[in-house]
Amino acid sequence: MSYALTTLWHERQRYLTAILAVAFCALLGSVQFGLLLGLFSITSMPVDNSRADIWLGAPKVLGVDLGRPIRESQALARLASHPDIERVEGFLQGFSYWARKDGGQELCMVVGSRLEPGSMGRNTALERYPELAEALTEPGTVVFDESDKEKLGVQKAGDEAEVAGSRVRVVGFVKGAKGLAAPFVFCSLTTARPLLRCFPGQITYALGKVKKGASPEDVVASLRRQYAPAPPKADPLASKDMGALSIQTESQKEAAEENALGQDSQAELSIFTSAEFSRRTRVHWLTKTKGGFALGYAAVLGLMVGAVVTSQTLYSATAASIKEFAVLKAMGIPRWRVSLHVMTLAAWVGIIGIVVAIPAVFSLAAVAEMWGVQMKLEAWLLITVSVVTLFMAIGAGLFALRSLRGVEPALLLR
Amino acid sequence: MIQEGTAFSERVWGSDPILQGLHLVRAFGDGGALSRAVDDVSLEVHRGQFVLMMGPSGSGKSTLLAMLSGLLRPDEGRVVCMGEDIWSLNDKEREQFRLDHCGFVFQGYNLFPSLTAREQIELVARWGQGATSAEARDMADALLIRLNLIDKAHLRPPQLSGGEKQRVAIGRALVKAPDLLFADEPTSALDWAHGEEVVKMLRELAKDNGTTVVCVTHDHRLVPFADRLIDLEDGRLKRQSYGFHGVTDQIGHPMQEPGEIQPAIPAKPTLRFRATP
Ligand SMILES: Nc1ncnc2c1ncn2[C@@H]1O[C@H](COP(=O)(O)OP(=O)(O)O)[C@@H](O)[C@H]1O
Ligand SMILES: [Mg+2]
Repeated sequence: MSYALTTLWHERQRYLTAILAVAFCALLGSVQFGLLLGLFSITSMPVDNSRADIWLGAPKVLGVDLGRPIRESQALARLASHPDIERVEGFLQGFSYWARKDGGQELCMVVGSRLEPGSMGRNTALERYPELAEALTEPGTVVFDESDKEKLGVQKAGDEAEVAGSRVRVVGFVKGAKGLAAPFVFCSLTTARPLLRCFPGQITYALGKVKKGASPEDVVASLRRQYAPAPPKADPLASKDMGALSIQTESQKEAAEENALGQDSQAELSIFTSAEFSRRTRVHWLTKTKGGFALGYAAVLGLMVGAVVTSQTLYSATAASIKEFAVLKAMGIPRWRVSLHVMTLAAWVGIIGIVVAIPAVFSLAAVAEMWGVQMKLEAWLLITVSVVTLFMAIGAGLFALRSLRGVEPALLLR
Repeated sequence: MIQEGTAFSERVWGSDPILQGLHLVRAFGDGGALSRAVDDVSLEVHRGQFVLMMGPSGSGKSTLLAMLSGLLRPDEGRVVCMGEDIWSLNDKEREQFRLDHCGFVFQGYNLFPSLTAREQIELVARWGQGATSAEARDMADALLIRLNLIDKAHLRPPQLSGGEKQRVAIGRALVKAPDLLFADEPTSALDWAHGEEVVKMLRELAKDNGTTVVCVTHDHRLVPFADRLIDLEDGRLKRQSYGFHGVTDQIGHPMQEPGEIQPAIPAKPTLRFRATP
């Protein structure tokens, strides 16, 4: 309603506090969850930074970083057996221990892949460093993100260290591949096996690329049908939908249990599209570490503070106009009409607060990016935060309606 | 005395009263400190009149006005307005009754500080009458022209003088074209020049709309504008009398000055009145 907007504009001094409180809520929510998603997207980075369409791994694998050795020949053959698969290759990933020269030990995440241009497994972070990819073909060489230098006790290219008892030589550094808790250490498949205590002939994943025009989902579904009589249900929801995540893991948990019954180990190999596997990995860590709950709690606190400030501002603003409202009440204008006005004010405070917050969120994301911290501001996240914030503002408006109880025409008579 | 007044006024105006107060009592305080602000007051107001309710400060004028207008429940007595016993209605019905029939003007102008003169009036048309924004605008502008405020339609209360603010408040009260307009000290915050202007417009617009006005004031300079005077003292009705206008307008016998009730005035509807058993 235009009266609410006019009022907001002409009493902006008064409403500014509420607008800023709402903006703060929206900012806090977006930034916290954006950081959280950014943080956990690191766990699925090897999947996201690959060119593979399909990932085949050990039975009931929970995430890309939790793979177990499988037989290379069998895995590749199984994947390649589908007519729509164009090519396949092996991939190795797992946690290992990095022994620093000063004697300390660090957890690290070894990622071994084929290295030639156009291979599926080669991390896109290596794209800008063709000479490093070339250098990695020499057995026993590794690269990692330059920001992990200190953690791994390495000053310069050429330095050596020990991983799981095997000597490695650092041939250089990349950017944009920083690990979460364990730095990513990139190398060739041959280098990776001893670092992950795998035997020759073992890999952790078989990667597949589908032929042009074929759908990875269809291929995955058909491979599941072929090798597992009780396949995990296909995820009907789009990859961007956070709400679908828990449902998906639930259904896959069930499916995994079904699979466990009466299947030989080969039949239980997990198979996912890249999108599925990426999401599965992130959700696993998000729920396993309860990081979501911790930040969610902080966001709820932020919301409460915002709600209190907003309702107090609306309350006092409404109370200041109590005589005007009393005249309207005297003239028989029903209370709901005035309440609706207050609620409209609240909604506009919410909308303006959100509009103020959005550029601030993106500026903060840019600043975070400069510091090497990734904030994942996906559309669904911003929409969810906006809707929740708007509801908060409207709730604050409902609370402020208490001030209308004092609207009594008798107080106008003297 | 009250019964006489009732009979007389019916003979004079030839119509049933639009508003009747019957033995109204309202006390404030509690226990031993209980005092009657209005003490057994009966009166009636006829359609189209401009009635002035006068009396010294604290004599119970505002309390009586509030009871007559459906804002304050009487302890005793009844108010019959347009045939409705308004204090026997429930709150919702009474609110609807006020919406349909009553406008108000108070001493404090009580305008929304952030809305323009036009918006103050539009607001009531839209929220009260369910008018569309175009209709509300037309209604507001028509009133602003008659209030000689159309040039200031876009100004907000801080930019308006006291008299102008009160004229906007009159516009707001009249936009619903109410049958009754209740005004409590509408000129008391204004100097006389502006007060006179306000009361003139109030009277004129009310007459044009056929709106009955009950106006509370302690300002004797308003007397010449009244059709009828009601004097209160210590919560009791002291006397009812005429001003200049009512008599000349209604039955063509101009009176030279306000005075006591004149029982000798010719009585057109006497027969009908007497015919009723
Ligand atoms: N809400 C109230 N509470 C207590 N006393 C009141 C209240 N309203 C009015 N009174 C008292 O009732 C008497 C009449 O008041 P009021 O009707 O406002 O007089 P007037 O309008 O003629 O000045 C005064 O003595 C006043 O103090
Ligand atoms: Mg008074």
